[in-house]
Amino acid sequence: MSEKTKPDRPPGVCVPWEEKQAELGKMTGDDELVKRVWEEVDGFGYMYIWQCLLSF
Amino acid sequence: MPESSNRANRRQCTSQLTRQGNFGILVLCAWAPVAPAEQGTTGDEQEAVMANDMEQLYAQRLERYTAAMRNEKPDRIPIRPFVAEFTAKYAGYTAQQVTQDYRMAFAAARKCAADFDWDAVVGNMVYGWSGLTQAIGMKYYAVPGVDLPPDTGFQYIEPPEDEAWMREDEYDLLIEDPTGYLFNVWLPRVSADVVEPGQAATLRNNMSFLKGGMAMLDYFNGFGAQAAQLRGESGTVSAISGILKAPLDIIADKLRGYRGMCMDMFRRPDKLQAACEAMMPHLLAVAAGGADPERNVPVGLWLHRGCTPFLSPAQFERFFWPTLKQIIEGLWEQGIQTLFYAEGEWNGNLKYIAELPERSIIYHVDRGDIFEVHKAVGHKFCLSGGIPNELLAFGTPDDIRAYCKKVIDGVAGDGGYIMDASAIMQDDTDTENLKAMTEFTREYGVY
Repeated sequence: MSEKTKPDRPPGVCVPWEEKQAELGKMTGDDELVKRVWEEVDGFGYMYIWQCLLSF
Repeated sequence: MPESSNRANRRQCTSQLTRQGNFGILVLCAWAPVAPAEQGTTGDEQEAVMANDMEQLYAQRLERYTAAMRNEKPDRIPIRPFVAEFTAKYAGYTAQQVTQDYRMAFAAARKCAADFDWDAVVGNMVYGWSGLTQAIGMKYYAVPGVDLPPDTGFQYIEPPEDEAWMREDEYDLLIEDPTGYLFNVWLPRVSADVVEPGQAATLRNNMSFLKGGMAMLDYFNGFGAQAAQLRGESGTVSAISGILKAPLDIIADKLRGYRGMCMDMFRRPDKLQAACEAMMPHLLAVAAGGADPERNVPVGLWLHRGCTPFLSPAQFERFFWPTLKQIIEGLWEQGIQTLFYAEGEWNGNLKYIAELPERSIIYHVDRGDIFEVHKAVGHKFCLSGGIPNELLAFGTPDDIRAYCKKVIDGVAGDGGYIMDASAIMQDDTDTENLKAMTEFTREYGVY
């Protein structure tokens, strides 16, 4: 995970879309689709770590 | 009650699995006394009749349970016992078996739900699954059959203050980026397998995330199947959905330790308060993400250190209550109730509880005087619990019936009460006493 001086990880986010988008550069197709799915799957990572803390 | 008389006629039937977003688990189940087979019908037709009856009973029980939780008067008092290791004892499993193999824990919960004819249960009140925690490499569990005798429930191990999972000088890291802190600092510290960022990756590190993630998905999906089986086999409603902890509690439980948190209230109170505030939006998001999308059953809030005498009133006012209150209000704004499991003696905090929006919580009474609770907040919230665990362990069925009558007469006259023990029942609960609690409530608790 790349580190920033002041991370911006609101609830539900591990790796913000903006960070990933910068890696991907200009996309040839539907970038909103890529964003939506990225955020959905990123949310699984978020739930993993917070469930580790809260439930296990 | 009608359903108990049909106990022998139950059959498994088809049922509907309900799931919710992310890793949220929902636990809605059905109960249906199945009518005796009718002459001239085929097996498929009988199954269809039974499924229909089961769904009707499930609907009846869900209505009963939700009416009570909204502080209304249902047809009778719902029975929703929080039974943990008791289920193992009753169903013939060891604590090791229900901790190590969640399928055994699920089977034990289903057997209790069916045999006792309860309205609602938690799919697995033991909850901890050591298969998952071992996959991640968690250090803070003492596991029955591994670290403890096979018949002893699992335990959390709190490290010495100077070896706390979160060090005293790490508040700023947590406050600035709670999720990053958990991944980068906390997880490598609590896991024997996860390495810190910058260290050489290992097979065990990689496998911790792979196996941990897969195991968590398997377990939570298992809850969905458990919900369906409870609903289909016994018409039992799953009692809660999702999880919440108070910010100060989770800092004490899993980060600084209770002793470290206590010292921080004096040595670095501003940092501790800021950490609670930083955790708050995340705990709200996780609770809302796991909540029942139908908004029928509440999120479970398991409270640890907010009671007397862990915190003084001033400490409670500053560190514990403001952030927890905001989370509960935030959930209620989304139509989500909170099961406020007030573990310990909470009556000193009732004036704060009364600040919460009407019906936003179900207030579960453990060591507090339930009659005082009813006077103070019974007009606003449904109550549950209040039957002493020591009585359930060491009393007689007559003692239980007398105490249940006292509680029902004292707090349940206008509805808004759910029968349960004071605290989660472990293996010291006597089976005959639990039967007495169940059967007396079913007979006496009719409106």
